[in-house]
Amino acid sequence: MVRRITLNHITKIEGHASLDLKIRNGKIEKCHLEAVEGSRYFEGMVKGRRFDEAPEITSRICGICSCAHTTCSVMAMENALGITPSTRTIMLRELVTIGERIRSHATHLYFLSLPDFYGYESALAMSKDHRDKLQVALRMMKAGNELIKLNAGRDLHPISLQIGKFLKEPTKEELGRIRDALVSIIDDTVKTAELFATLDYPDFERETEYFSLVNPHHYALLYGNLKSQSSEFEPKDYKAYLGEYHEEYATANFVVKEGKSIMVGALPRMNNNWHLLKGRAKEILDRHSIKFPSKNPFHNNYAQALELVYFTERAIELIDNLPETGEEVKVTPRAGHGIAAIEVPRGILWHEYELDENGNILYANIITPTAQNLRNMQDDIREFVPRLLDRKKDEIVLEIEKLIRAYDPCFSCSTHFLKVNWE
Amino acid sequence: MTAEKKTKKLRVGVYGITGCAGCMLSLIFNEDELLDIAELVDIRAFPFIKEKKDERSFDVVLLEGTVVQPEDLELVEKLRKKTKILVALGACSSTGGVPSLRNFIDPEKYRHLVYHKASGIQDMPPKPVDEYVKVDYYLPGCPPDKKEIIRFLQDAALGKIPKMYPHPVCVECRLRENRCLLEEGKMCLGPITRGGCEAVCPTNNLECWGCRGPVDDANLTELIALLHKKGFDTDRIKARLETFAGLKIAQIEVGHKKWLEESH
Repeated sequence: MVRRITLNHITKIEGHASLDLKIRNGKIEKCHLEAVEGSRYFEGMVKGRRFDEAPEITSRICGICSCAHTTCSVMAMENALGITPSTRTIMLRELVTIGERIRSHATHLYFLSLPDFYGYESALAMSKDHRDKLQVALRMMKAGNELIKLNAGRDLHPISLQIGKFLKEPTKEELGRIRDALVSIIDDTVKTAELFATLDYPDFERETEYFSLVNPHHYALLYGNLKSQSSEFEPKDYKAYLGEYHEEYATANFVVKEGKSIMVGALPRMNNNWHLLKGRAKEILDRHSIKFPSKNPFHNNYAQALELVYFTERAIELIDNLPETGEEVKVTPRAGHGIAAIEVPRGILWHEYELDENGNILYANIITPTAQNLRNMQDDIREFVPRLLDRKKDEIVLEIEKLIRAYDPCFSCSTHFLKVNWE
Repeated sequence: MTAEKKTKKLRVGVYGITGCAGCMLSLIFNEDELLDIAELVDIRAFPFIKEKKDERSFDVVLLEGTVVQPEDLELVEKLRKKTKILVALGACSSTGGVPSLRNFIDPEKYRHLVYHKASGIQDMPPKPVDEYVKVDYYLPGCPPDKKEIIRFLQDAALGKIPKMYPHPVCVECRLRENRCLLEEGKMCLGPITRGGCEAVCPTNNLECWGCRGPVDDANLTELIALLHKKGFDTDRIKARLETFAGLKIAQIEVGHKKWLEESH
């Protein structure tokens, strides 16, 4: 018996994607998850531009992770130019990154993911019966956006976060307001983690390489080595470990390690860093039955929820320890090569640039989290679907969509650099 | 039963073609107003956050993204037929946005990123929506102003279409008592760019990049002369002008010639 499952334009994800599945006698013959988003060729468009124009342009790769692209671009440029910003600047950047993590996870968990588990077609449809839950989400989204806005000038496409400095820094009074906003959502983050600790996740496990940044002191954000079960390396050496390839049917690149799928995102981060959790996040982890490392991709939701708790407290700690001033660094164009890898809501983001002696861009390469997860999502679907085949088709479809959404994929990001035609 | 007369709600669709979802998020990130807006209007389709859709007809469609492939154009044409009011949401849809920069760069710069097979569909030159169909209203900017989107929907629900902000960014910038970044030698496009953004970039000490597209009476000649005087060369000025709204700026006549074309 041959069954064909085609999901055109999967909803409740960032960007546009479709899935083409062919099943013969209970075996998957074809599993193509493809972005159906057009190509924008960002790496081509920044070529020839001055080094300080890249963050402004590459921010436009993605709305929800615009702070991520800006920060990563800025840090790769700093590496190319051989400059190190002040501790204050770095901490302000961490705050922006955390703000983005809060608004992104809150949006994903409540607006894209939870309706599946509660049996609603959308969060808006939930608002009659579960308005309180949406209000929790909206309060966290607002606090995250405020945190970004007061530091970087605007919540989407940050303005003042630049190479070597912030063009405008928050005042003491503004930092106080941010702190209050963060304190006000602690209960909401805890409620969220309690909720996502106890959802009825499908019982599915498939081990893969869980990649994240690690550093000895903190749950890594902007700095650290790349680590998985079988390797640890510095970001600058990534080409020796990770390979990119394309499939003829897909519009996005695939990233693999030794030909095998890898996973990035909240679950791999939690798998590699759970022992660094503290405060309320650690209490919640200790109290509930889901433990890390976990091989269940659906637990990415819970890992995101735990991150909401941890990073809200971490942001308060950063504000309380922020140096009053930071020395401004001089930015001078020169020839150079710089790579940065940072943790962003959906996983590790890479920006790499090569500059000529006037600081003009000769080469740019950007690898997004969803590109790294694409192959893994497909491999998961291949293993997950055969055990669903005795169910009704719409149930199978919902379960597949739940799996895809658990990754919080961003197809806007993943397709910016490559276009392959499909038949 | 209430005696209140049941009025028909505004039927709204929110769609994205090739883009970054940032404009749709700009709507969603009106955290205090979102749930009320969702009650004020009837959101019939919003694939980014909604599974179900009723696409029979709309009063208003908000559309994000740039037309870069035939699928995008297909959706644009379909939506145009189904809606009374088509709104270009954000820079990509209104002016082409950053993706439209590709129209001005040498294809050699991105050829290595293209893995086309010999047959099959092709990229199209990236263009804003109004290059293909009539657009009734614009919510420009990258990102569009969050509050402007809400105000538009509130007005539209009352049967009104607001007027677009007519003045350049400089007007709001002066009102906010900012230092003039042009005078400080920055390549600020404020004088030719449509305001309504509260001059948010200059207020944060970043020069205006022109993301809201040119104002109707943009004096491009004067700005270019001024930027030359400040020491910027033609290539850099051109690249900057092309970044968010190059196709629209190329349509501005400068001394009977189109400056962007001339300088190619």
